[in-house]
Amino acid sequence: MNRQEKLKILLIEPSEIIATGFKEIVGKSHGFEIMNTISTPGYYNTMQSKPDIIVINPTVINYNERFDIRSYFCSNGENISIVALTNAGYEENVMRQYDGCINIYDNTARIIQKLHSAVEEMQQNPKNELNELSTRERDILVAVAKGKTNKEIADEFNISIYTVISHRRNISRKLGINSIPGLTVYAIMNKLVDMSDFN
Amino acid sequence: MSNNETLYSKRMKLADLIATDNNLLSILHRLNIKLGFGEASVSEICSRYEISTDLFLIICNIYSFHDYVPQIELLHKSDIADITGYLRRSHKYYKEICFPEIHNKIHILVKELDDVNRHLIDKFYDDYDNEVTNHFMFEENTVFPYIDTLLERDGFSDNKFSIVKFEKNHSNIGEKLNDLKNIIIKYIPEEYSSNIRFEILKDIYAVENDLRKHSLIENKLLVPLVEKLEKDYE
Repeated sequence: MNRQEKLKILLIEPSEIIATGFKEIVGKSHGFEIMNTISTPGYYNTMQSKPDIIVINPTVINYNERFDIRSYFCSNGENISIVALTNAGYEENVMRQYDGCINIYDNTARIIQKLHSAVEEMQQNPKNELNELSTRERDILVAVAKGKTNKEIADEFNISIYTVISHRRNISRKLGINSIPGLTVYAIMNKLVDMSDFN
Repeated sequence: MSNNETLYSKRMKLADLIATDNNLLSILHRLNIKLGFGEASVSEICSRYEISTDLFLIICNIYSFHDYVPQIELLHKSDIADITGYLRRSHKYYKEICFPEIHNKIHILVKELDDVNRHLIDKFYDDYDNEVTNHFMFEENTVFPYIDTLLERDGFSDNKFSIVKFEKNHSNIGEKLNDLKNIIIKYIPEEYSSNIRFEILKDIYAVENDLRKHSLIENKLLVPLVEKLEKDYE
């Protein structure tokens, strides 16, 4: 991305006071441009407007519906940084969906810094493989398919068991496959492992 | 079905229950209730077939209303045998009708696939089939006989088994079925026929739904009733 160009922000915030304040603070700092402000996500078409960053108040999203925020806005694999704008604490598994979190009590410098790091994070770690596995996840899937235990995988990759479990959870969520035999079928079908590994 | 619908009651016509939710047909099938019952009400049919009306209604309500909480106080020791009877017949229904049907269709599907994928899907399904068979066999050979002894001997049992152990060991047979669904929807490549896959998926969704209700009957009716029975005899 060309750093000379302004980063385009789509703001989704139902409170007019907060929305106006955000526009005032961020719109004035160079490097950012608020392209649009809407109060609910609705059927906003990110394909056409192509924001670089979506700043969204998490309360507009109903978590009971297990709404996956990235697949909602980036269903075609767009690399959009998604940043929460909030004054409340959220559970970790909710916040994990976001690339950053701005608190409404943050000062201008902090807000700008958080927006920049959300964009950097996205550039270094593109997430458009939303439903595709990351390289690390793929390696772990192969190990699982070969019948290795979490402990063995943790030792092999030099990571903690908790990290292994978290990778496995993400793999299952992305693929929609939970059982080890099911994961093995996936791994062989996609030629990640060879049938001969099992004979 | 939405939660503000009225639950079924004994004065309703049985035909109206079926009109409300055709999934209930499989219950009639399992309870050997013959079709052609005209305008008979639920309570008339239940007394004709010597089934507890309360139990029948609870089972129907479990099937049709997803957030329904059964009123277990309505059930008695005498209903336990009917519940295990129902569960046994429902196993038979899965084993003799649902799963063979899915198996046949899987067979048609794999014929098209290349060697590797054919072997994979075949093996996955066979393993699942074994798992389900073992699951049902454990219930039929261990759990239900334990309950029968408990009922017959009026509580005396030197068996070290207890229903809580059953609940703990109650494996989740839905998981692999769900995996199979996703493999068929997402990962068998597009070049293979979709028609047979649509058929298989329709069957899997139906049996999945039925299995969910089946385990609700086990966990929400059978287990608490037997637990109560165990306590009474302690």
